[in-house]
Amino acid sequence: KDFRSSDVHPTDYPTVQAVTQMGKVLNEQTKGRLGVKVFANSAMGSEKDTVEQVKIGALDMVRINSAVLHAISPAMMVPSLPFLFRSTQHMRDTLDGPIGDQILASLEKEGFVGLAFYDSGSRSFYTTKKPIKAVADMKGMKIRVQQSEMWVAIMQALGANATPMPYAEVYTALKTGLVDGAENNWPSFESSRHYEAAKYYSRTEHSMAPEVLVFSKKVWDGLSKEDQQMIRKAAKESVPHMRKLWDEREAKARQVVTGGGAQINEVDKAGFSAAMKPVYDRFVTDPALKDLVVRIQNSAK
Amino acid sequence: MPVQVEKVSFLTRFNAMLCRAAMVTAVAALFGIVFVVVWQVFGRYVLNDTPTWAEGTSLVLVIYVTMLGAAAGVRDAGHIGMESILILLPEKLRTKFEIVIHALVASFGVAMVWYGTVLGRSVMNYKIPSLGVSEGINYVAVVIAGVLIILFCIEHIIAIVTGKEVIPSWH
Amino acid sequence: MALTILVLSFASFLLIGVPVAFAIGLSSAVALLVEGMPMAVLFQRMVSGMNIFSFLAIPFFIFAGEIMLYGGVAERIVRFAKSLTGHVRGGLGMSNVVSCTLFGGVSGSPVADVSAMGAVMIPMMKKEGYHADYAVNVTTHASLVGALMPTSHNMVIYAFAAGGAVSISSLIMAGMIPALVLTICMLFAAYLVAVKRKYPAGTFPGWGEVIASFAAALPGLLIAVIILTGILSGVFTATEAASVAVLYALILTVVVYKSMTWEHLMKSAAKAVKTTGVVLLLIGISAVFQHLMSLYEVAELTGEMMASISTSPWAIFLMINLILFILGTFMDMASTILICTPIFLPIAMKFGMDPVQFGMLMLINCALGLNTPPVGTTQFVGCAIGEISVGQVMKTIWPFYGALIAAMLLITFVPSFSLWLPNLMLK
Ligand code: NA
Ligand code: NA
Repeated sequence: KDFRSSDVHPTDYPTVQAVTQMGKVLNEQTKGRLGVKVFANSAMGSEKDTVEQVKIGALDMVRINSAVLHAISPAMMVPSLPFLFRSTQHMRDTLDGPIGDQILASLEKEGFVGLAFYDSGSRSFYTTKKPIKAVADMKGMKIRVQQSEMWVAIMQALGANATPMPYAEVYTALKTGLVDGAENNWPSFESSRHYEAAKYYSRTEHSMAPEVLVFSKKVWDGLSKEDQQMIRKAAKESVPHMRKLWDEREAKARQVVTGGGAQINEVDKAGFSAAMKPVYDRFVTDPALKDLVVRIQNSAK
Repeated sequence: MPVQVEKVSFLTRFNAMLCRAAMVTAVAALFGIVFVVVWQVFGRYVLNDTPTWAEGTSLVLVIYVTMLGAAAGVRDAGHIGMESILILLPEKLRTKFEIVIHALVASFGVAMVWYGTVLGRSVMNYKIPSLGVSEGINYVAVVIAGVLIILFCIEHIIAIVTGKEVIPSWH
Repeated sequence: MALTILVLSFASFLLIGVPVAFAIGLSSAVALLVEGMPMAVLFQRMVSGMNIFSFLAIPFFIFAGEIMLYGGVAERIVRFAKSLTGHVRGGLGMSNVVSCTLFGGVSGSPVADVSAMGAVMIPMMKKEGYHADYAVNVTTHASLVGALMPTSHNMVIYAFAAGGAVSISSLIMAGMIPALVLTICMLFAAYLVAVKRKYPAGTFPGWGEVIASFAAALPGLLIAVIILTGILSGVFTATEAASVAVLYALILTVVVYKSMTWEHLMKSAAKAVKTTGVVLLLIGISAVFQHLMSLYEVAELTGEMMASISTSPWAIFLMINLILFILGTFMDMASTILICTPIFLPIAMKFGMDPVQFGMLMLINCALGLNTPPVGTTQFVGCAIGEISVGQVMKTIWPFYGALIAAMLLITFVPSFSLWLPNLMLK
């Protein structure tokens, strides 16, 4: 049986490659009994659509960004919190360890089996008119963000005007000045060609909201214990492969955008981080979430 | 000349009223969407604060406009279809096929009610971002439209059997 | 196997006369049953397929068009076009083409265009001694320009079907020149036939009338200008521009022209609601059809098949045109766009065609289908207004058809018609 998995990214994207790789491993271990077929390029719908399909068992697996699961499981909000992780390494260590497992397990009662966290890099702001160096630079700027309460709260905390709009319209909006900037990771900044319209990439690295690979609980419960173990293991093993591809992809994207005239600058991260207090106050109210946040902040330096 | 008082069945009167109510609601929702999106522009420029509820609200409203409009389209025969090959058939057989068509559309209505309920319950606990309303609200529209479609198809079938026509309630 | 069942059941539902949206829904349900997949996915995809912010432009463009239609904008445009070209041989035919083009800029679709312009122009032409077949053919063909002009909701549908590969704003820019090409081809056809049939020429009403009628029509025409400049200057997104178009149309017809009654306003809103219901339901339900076609990898299979026939881009593009045309003859515009874009866009792109240009091609092919039986929506409307049968119209359709095909080939093989303006404005 080939499990059907969905991804919105193209076939050569690291997450798609990683899940494909996982399928190959399963295939070898079961001598062709189990495998994975990845439907890339949003063939099965948007991230939100496919999560619902996984829940009702119309799809077996899906790779989505953790942000999509905010409304489903509050614990999923934690790794998306701004300026939570000190570095990529800190993020990877945390999500690979017991904290990551605890967050994945929180999905179980909602009808999902969380298999693994993948990387989505760190997101930074990019702007058309001037670089952002400190929080004060963002005052009154119209910044395109994803449609979520947390993103709006982050923009409010920074004094910017959060302007939600469909991703496909952002390039034109940057060109015409409808928005002053947007935010994303390196590979998306490159592949969307937004760097042609907004050349100042200010390394705020404000969010590292990871990607998640989830399995349908409905389908999962019909599998044998051995198969479940095997799938879990294969998923975990695909993570290092994904990260290797991700790092290469990021390096390549950086090269392309700087070659294309993008100007990269560092920012006063401490100032940004300090400005996030209202966001934490608003979203981290539950004691269990508070505990998770404190544990992440205090984990091995 | 004696005045012919057409006896209108209860279902017809009831459906005409339902269809009108659906259209009035949908028209109100359409004006609502226009207002909300214009307000979004106004908010961005005049208030310098883009209303973040605008997108979510307008998306819920458009589902209602669509589902109610689509249901009304079933009653008033507004849906796009091919000129059926049935015109080649003798009258009697054609009538039978027309009943089959309405029964097929009605069966889709039944599925809308059933799976609309299933899906609505499955997403009931999820909130629409920056709106705070349950995602289930979208599927409520599907269920309502499903019920309307079933009723309208039954009305059409009865009309075919009794040799009457369904008069659009709003055109 | 399941794919065969999907296609066969779809075709049979369609043939017995089940409306397209329900035919798609029911055949998808059959395929899901055969496949053993949960039926709920159909309705999940249906709702999420409609729940897209960019799609709000669809009810907006439809609504704005209805307001313009009921609010007296159409007559003013006709008066202006008549003052411009009325004095040429077959001048009313040319005026008709110009009117349709101008109204196409403010109304959402070719069908709206035919109903608005046809209602005014076709009786007028018949009264002045033009044959009904000519009057209907000129109107139905020139109205197709409406699909390429700024208020086209079909562009929004295409942008969606292309999976976010193109922005609505660049499509709106791209449509302008192809619309002009189409208009010029139509003017030629209208003129040639008029000369051959020795149709009359009117008298030039003088520049005073040209200016006066222009002034009367201008506020209505401005709607296209507002959409274009609003997007270009970064004031609105495409969706917001569409909402502002509704507001503008309301203010214009209620406050400025004072030609909108409460009854007409409700009528236009009700029509907009019904059209939105029909179009968006179709879009929503098509999402599950696309879902199944992705599952069966129909695009990949079609691509391989076409590549095995020829690998020259010219041949491939011609083949795509032919297939789109054939499908367009018996499906309506929205269904053809939704079903064919995911299949043919990847192939066209592989052979070097820009997705924006492919959009223009798609729109023209679908437009062509609107004037071809068995399902020729604009043709039906035109014939109803002209009180003439489709058969009679088909006999003398060739010059107009020829003009459309000429325009289509020009746009297929000259990419810069479609790409020059968006590249200039948005790069
Ligand atoms: Na138009
Ligand atoms: Na046709």
